[in-house]
Amino acid sequence: MRYRLLAATGVLALAAGLSGCGSSEPSPGASGSAAPEKLTVWIMRDSMSDALLGRFESGFEASHPGVALDIQIQEWDGIGQKVTSGLASNDAPDVIEVGNTQVAEYAASGGVKDLSDKVADLGGADWLPGLAEPGKIDGRQYGIPWYAANRVVIYNKDLFAKAGVGGPPKTREEWLDVTAKLNKGGYQGIYLAGQNWYTLAGFIWDEGGDLAVKEGEAWRGTLDTPQALAGMDFYTRLQALGKGPKDSDEARPPQADVFAKGDVAQLISTPGGAVAIEKANPGLAGKLGFFPIPGKTAGEPGAVFTGGSDLIIPEASKHHDSAYEVVKALAGEQFQLDMAKEMSYVPNRVSLGGVLDGDEGTAAMAAGAANGHATPNSANWAAVEARNVIKEYMTKALTGADAAAEARAASQVITSILNTKS
Amino acid sequence: MTVSPPVPGPRRGPGAPASPPAGERTAPARDGRGAAGGPAVPAPGRGRGRRGGAWWPYLLIAPTVAGALFLLVYPVARSVVISLQHFRTGELIRGGAAFVGLENYRELLGDAEFWEVVRRTAVWTAVNVVLIMVISTLVALMAARLGRRTRLAVLGGLVLTWATPVLAATTIFQWLFQSRLGVVNWLLVRLGLDGFTDYPWFADGTSTFAILVMLVVWQSVPFAALTLYAGLTTIPAELEESARIDGAGGRQVFTAVTFPILRPLFGLITSLEVIWVFKCFAQIWAVSKGGPDGATTTLPVYAFQVAQSLHKYDLGAAVSTLTVLILVVALLAHLRRVHRHEGEEGEAR
Amino acid sequence: MTSARRPGALARPVRRGALYLAALGVLAVSVFPVYWMAVTAFTPTAGIQSETPSFWPAHPTLQHFATAVNADGFWQFWRNSLLVTVSAVLLSLVVALLAAFAVARLRWRGRRAFVLMVFIAQMAPWEALLISMFVIARDTGMLDKLSMLSLLYFMATLPFTIVTLRGFLAAIPPELEEAAMTDGAGRPAAFRRVVLPLLAPGLMSTSLFGFITAWNEFAFANALIIKNQDDRTLPVWLSSFSNIFGTDWGATMAAATLFMLPVLLIFLVLQRRVATGMITGAVKG
Repeated sequence: MRYRLLAATGVLALAAGLSGCGSSEPSPGASGSAAPEKLTVWIMRDSMSDALLGRFESGFEASHPGVALDIQIQEWDGIGQKVTSGLASNDAPDVIEVGNTQVAEYAASGGVKDLSDKVADLGGADWLPGLAEPGKIDGRQYGIPWYAANRVVIYNKDLFAKAGVGGPPKTREEWLDVTAKLNKGGYQGIYLAGQNWYTLAGFIWDEGGDLAVKEGEAWRGTLDTPQALAGMDFYTRLQALGKGPKDSDEARPPQADVFAKGDVAQLISTPGGAVAIEKANPGLAGKLGFFPIPGKTAGEPGAVFTGGSDLIIPEASKHHDSAYEVVKALAGEQFQLDMAKEMSYVPNRVSLGGVLDGDEGTAAMAAGAANGHATPNSANWAAVEARNVIKEYMTKALTGADAAAEARAASQVITSILNTKS
Repeated sequence: MTVSPPVPGPRRGPGAPASPPAGERTAPARDGRGAAGGPAVPAPGRGRGRRGGAWWPYLLIAPTVAGALFLLVYPVARSVVISLQHFRTGELIRGGAAFVGLENYRELLGDAEFWEVVRRTAVWTAVNVVLIMVISTLVALMAARLGRRTRLAVLGGLVLTWATPVLAATTIFQWLFQSRLGVVNWLLVRLGLDGFTDYPWFADGTSTFAILVMLVVWQSVPFAALTLYAGLTTIPAELEESARIDGAGGRQVFTAVTFPILRPLFGLITSLEVIWVFKCFAQIWAVSKGGPDGATTTLPVYAFQVAQSLHKYDLGAAVSTLTVLILVVALLAHLRRVHRHEGEEGEAR
Repeated sequence: MTSARRPGALARPVRRGALYLAALGVLAVSVFPVYWMAVTAFTPTAGIQSETPSFWPAHPTLQHFATAVNADGFWQFWRNSLLVTVSAVLLSLVVALLAAFAVARLRWRGRRAFVLMVFIAQMAPWEALLISMFVIARDTGMLDKLSMLSLLYFMATLPFTIVTLRGFLAAIPPELEEAAMTDGAGRPAAFRRVVLPLLAPGLMSTSLFGFITAWNEFAFANALIIKNQDDRTLPVWLSSFSNIFGTDWGATMAAATLFMLPVLLIFLVLQRRVATGMITGAVKG
């Protein structure tokens, strides 16, 4: 019997050994040894170009000997679970990019390092409020503003010329006319995925509605107001002028790839989307134009969601000091200027805004940014996004269900999620 | 490629070892038992020279018990504890969760959505299991009547389906039912149903539910059908023949002879399918994440959503506890059979 | 004249035809999805995107496989999956063999309860234990480690393995083993020489079951491997792959084909014994 038990133990050890080999965990670099300190940085898919990140990595490692960066690209799908797991682990990633609609939740969880005493060092007085505010809870700064962007219309100049469309439309009605004209002969007037809810939010704000409002202490979902329904109605009319899937969002399939095939006239995206399009199809370089999302009247551009990202350092990171150096570099002037040029993003500081003058995409974005809005400022908003409440409502409305009834149901769900005590 | 039938010949019992002497010695005995009283496990016999009193049986099961304690019992206990606490993102990260008694269960049981999910899970399980059992039975009966080559082909096809990993299968089905360029829509349009041009299958709750049922049935039928077919081959041909001589039709032969003999096997497969379908998570999550609008949210999906998307880990744990309780109650008959069965053959004898 | 024949004789060929038609239907339904996956994987992108699908790649291409294999870290994840899966299966076989022997061959107090617990363990809703498992892995320093996944998959397959092996063991007459022992062999030698060879089909079929389970697992692999991204397994990779290559159905199907290949190969190698073994397991368990 002893013989067999020994054999069993042997296999156990073998199995443990096998799987042990599999983990490529670096030996913890003892300070003073030659092994570099390895920092893990999580960046969201498509938020920065590979070239930009590559430049940053080599530049940072050159100026910080003894530190090696491991930049890992994360998928948006399921990111809430992933970041939460990271924050809750004992050995978290050292720097994480989080969307400005989600940063409040992480900051409230207690797993993010409080960087209030570094605000001055980072030039915090000059930050974009739309990025700094969500990162701040009870006067303490947890999220460091990184970049902002809002959506514009990217268009294919060739297709506009071919359809005889003179210039970009100025009003919504004009926009529908132009798009209908473009949506002919095997071309798509616009590629608008059915679940592009940031775009819908803009239309709803244009009508004077909102996604949810806070009444006293309680939140109420407001997708079922006449204003919000009017916004959905406009979305439906626009969406029909192309072949965007009604049951999917802009990431599935990646809309830049669809546009890159060359048969789509317009796309709603941040100007940075043009980088991805040209990468997928270099033949389109120089043929892309930009204009702000048209509003109800010619005088005012359409309302847009001010998107963007903050950077956080998890409490569970084992390299707080070096992590801060990374944040400082990413939020610093040099990277911000490089990023603004390459990605057409709005830098995190108001004073750097001038760098974008002369860039067509950014000009369109800046025009739209004048009418920028934010998602409801609640730590629970991330849960609304995670449960796809708005996306599923949109698909229903687009596929012929009773929009008013569906909007009422979706609003109730939003109300209950936002009023959940964490 | 050749895929041989799962059971080499009709006269050899399932699982008979391949090497001749032992195989010939054990197979008939097992066949006889199977025909008489269902698939029974020969008991650890009395007087077969086994010392029962020693401590080393416990040594043999020690690794199993140790593994189960750390990797199953402890996590389950931990999960139950979480369900009795206020355990959200903050507690997950910082620790220090406070006990709240049965608060989470109270909230859950008072929530109409939970009951809706329970109802949907019951429908989901019933629809799938009924379809699986009916189709598998028909396929097994059919296979038994086919010529050798055709039977090999059909069984080979089933094995191929069986070998398809869940994740690959879900990806394939998403591709089949894609609104643009999906081959199913193309086929339906070709058949004259123009309404299916670019039809978005995954936009509607009912059609998503239906596709998931198809997926799960498609994946589950091979196991059930192959097992039932193997069971059919153990039935002595004379029994069915004599029934036929007595004037019974095909259906009567099935209800009077085939089904009663295989009843334990049917019961067993049904129980297993109930477990698998009820617990089914990966397929649903990969295809629809429980949507659209919750139309495919079954209990395991609900537990995952509540915990992972809403970060209400405490409520999610409570859902899990209730899920297990429901499953145990639903399969009480099955478990009692196992218990009784062991009793007859083991300690009681 | 057919009208002169007895009704039964008329029905016979008709029923025969219906039977074979049904067989054809079953074959088509079971094979088509997998066939379609392979065809798509070999069809050039232009063909995939044409409005009329072609059911045979006229100009087969390996382009999609190249895309899939060249995607970041494919071989790394392949290796990880194999390591995790194989170690889980081996561990499960050894541990289950011991327990199955105790259950099938020995009489002891608590045996009935033990068997019942094994059956109940089969019902464990694994996905529901994600959070408690995460907490436990974290508190024991097992987070971000492939060995944790191995252990989990081991436990997930153990109950089924015990039940199946126990069935096989029970079918082997103890007399054979005893005869070897009276011939002078010790119990371990008797077990190895007599029982183990007879048990081979059972070992193979249970390893296959374990292999499929572990090879497929996504939820835990996704939740417990956080920072060491090089330690991700194929299912996690496949899911992020379909995120990245959403429109590229050719590449996605090529990836699915590559994912399925090992399982299919093992099925083919073990074919005869496997199905028999699964059935025995089912009959017992």
